[in-house]
Amino acid sequence: MKTRSMKAAAALAGAMVSMALVATGCSKGADTPAGKPAVTEITFWSWLRASQEVTDAFNKAHTDVQVKFEQIPGGAEGYGKLTNAVKAGNAPDVATVEYAMLPDMLAQGNLADISGDITDLVKSKYPAPIQELVTLGGKTWTVPLDAGAMVMFYRKDLFEQHKIAVPKTWDEFKAAAEAVKKADAKSRITDWNQTDSANFVSLNWQAGAKWFGIQGDSWKVTLDSPESQKVAGYWQDLITKDLVTNVPAEEVQKRKAAGQVWTQLGGAWAAGGLKAGLPDQSGKWASAALPSWDAAPASAMVGGSSFGVSKTSKNKEAALKFITWMTTTPEGIQARLSSGASSTLPAIPELADVAAKNFDTKFFGGQDIYAVAKAALPTIKTGWVWGPGMRGVFDGIGEQFKLVQTGKQQLPAVYGPVQAKTIEDLKGRGINAS
Amino acid sequence: MPPTRSGLARRQYGVAALFTAPFFLLFFTFTLAPIGYGGWLSLHREQTSGLGLGGEPEQVFVGLDNFTRALTDPRFLGSFATVGLYCLVYIPIMIGIALVLALLLDSAYARAKRFFQLALYLPNIVPGLIAAMIWTYLYTPGLSPIIDALEKFGIPFNLGSDAGAIGAVANLTTWMHTGYNVIIFFAALQAVPREVIEASTVDGAGQIRIAWSVKAPMIRGAVVLAVLFTVIGAMQLFTEPFIVRDAATTIDQAWTPSLYIYQLTKAYDMGGAAAASLILTVVLAVASFLVTRFSKKGATL
Repeated sequence: MKTRSMKAAAALAGAMVSMALVATGCSKGADTPAGKPAVTEITFWSWLRASQEVTDAFNKAHTDVQVKFEQIPGGAEGYGKLTNAVKAGNAPDVATVEYAMLPDMLAQGNLADISGDITDLVKSKYPAPIQELVTLGGKTWTVPLDAGAMVMFYRKDLFEQHKIAVPKTWDEFKAAAEAVKKADAKSRITDWNQTDSANFVSLNWQAGAKWFGIQGDSWKVTLDSPESQKVAGYWQDLITKDLVTNVPAEEVQKRKAAGQVWTQLGGAWAAGGLKAGLPDQSGKWASAALPSWDAAPASAMVGGSSFGVSKTSKNKEAALKFITWMTTTPEGIQARLSSGASSTLPAIPELADVAAKNFDTKFFGGQDIYAVAKAALPTIKTGWVWGPGMRGVFDGIGEQFKLVQTGKQQLPAVYGPVQAKTIEDLKGRGINAS
Repeated sequence: MPPTRSGLARRQYGVAALFTAPFFLLFFTFTLAPIGYGGWLSLHREQTSGLGLGGEPEQVFVGLDNFTRALTDPRFLGSFATVGLYCLVYIPIMIGIALVLALLLDSAYARAKRFFQLALYLPNIVPGLIAAMIWTYLYTPGLSPIIDALEKFGIPFNLGSDAGAIGAVANLTTWMHTGYNVIIFFAALQAVPREVIEASTVDGAGQIRIAWSVKAPMIRGAVVLAVLFTVIGAMQLFTEPFIVRDAATTIDQAWTPSLYIYQLTKAYDMGGAAAASLILTVVLAVASFLVTRFSKKGATL
């Protein structure tokens, strides 16, 4: 009780001075009487589904550390907010960082070096490809949560009803796209997202492109490559032939609800969003491997998150305790999954089974979608490295997409300008790049 | 005996200082200090080194480099051209509609004046962000009843062109701000001496003639003021195009100066953003000066 009234008093006093002071007041530990260990209060920023539930479960199970969760927007906005907060000295203790954004966040100096505390843990628990994603410059920076293995969700009922085979290769996908349009003139096999470029970037990864590489002390930026060209040419063809839904995002959602979009490509985590967005289509969806370029299955990662400690945090130990609980314990995974909102695929193989047990598969007609996602993991193309400036790359490609949509630009031409701009931006920030 | 002259003066100074202190405190904290910080930022650039892994970026003094970069960037200069074009389309239409509506409200035949004042003002209380989102829906084919109706009558609607983008944003801002200016003009019209209007009526002028030749010139000051504020607002255009971008695809990341500045901050180029902001501030100051100067003759502010 004492803690609580002290907190209230602190909050009240803080509110009278300024909002900024409240934030500081809450992140400081409050002493409890009778020599009990002090409760450390930390803050946690995320946009991941079920973050509140995870935080609540952690707080319930722990007395020495209490976490305050604050919802922030995902994407460029969220990372900008974090960067500014670190500069202003009021960043959260625990930050969510997608693998793609880790180099960018490091270049901004947003994260504390927690190598000494987590390297052994990450090395012992995670598969090598996942370790690589959070190890940069010989240091381990964040603890991975999930693997965003890319899969294909599809309307099982519609494919069966119209006797269209579920495509396993991109050639079959194109044939299926024609069949879908034939079956129903209003339907398309998938939506071509006009603004969000994340899926497209990962499709390049799947094709074997390597957009960033390290050569000595310099980044090598290669967006434009034969592999990338293959992907762009393929999708441009689908767009030109009107085989994919090519309308603004608001309209896409409407068509999905009307059952006019038959597949959705996305990370394993996207299942949660499907479930939440299309409750009426429960039982009609299924998951399958992402179509590949040759017969051999291949995947890529889209999204996928990890947690780090911000540079300005004064509660490193407590933050690490919370982070490791969220990412490496069955309880942490269970709390995330049992809410039903998240369909994240934990990066630790044993925990993937915990997740599978806790995910309600009714939406997928009882299909074990985790088996599909787990099978996709080892097929993820190796050699892909995320580089600094990915925020600009995602943004730049998205910007080029708008030109593609109006027909001013063809997809194969989107890489060049973004590559040049990325190199220019990196150099402007003092980072070696070519 | 009255207090001595100097004692009175001193007391008055004390009181004056007490009353003006809050203003200067806020003015310093929220205007001068940020401008000063912006000035400092504009002379520096954040630099990391090598691969940029783990090192904290340093602020390196670069002199006027950020300013030359902004002033030689065709995208920054282009953003001013876009806003200029937008002003040419938007201001005459918006001010024109507002003036006509205000004169109608003020005419002897107007009924339910209170209702119309309120109804016209209503769009202005909708936050810009919300208004932009609503209009984005109205601009999206397949979702918008308006576009569907237009297409039914065979009228093509294409936001995917440069003209379409300016039209889309100008339409939205006209919808938002016309009512506000109607209120300003209407209030100014109340100050027009009734004798003048009566005299015109006696001289045989009709309602339209009175409105155009008597009332409108007499509220010229208010119109100039409205144009001034609108120009300054238009130069800083951000929210509306930022949201409408989803539907009007030709609005790029450097469509207006503010969007350009925002885009630089996303690329972690705080120095460049600060320099561009200061340039924009100077342009705004010059524009304000020109508008007041240009229209001073005959203006009764």
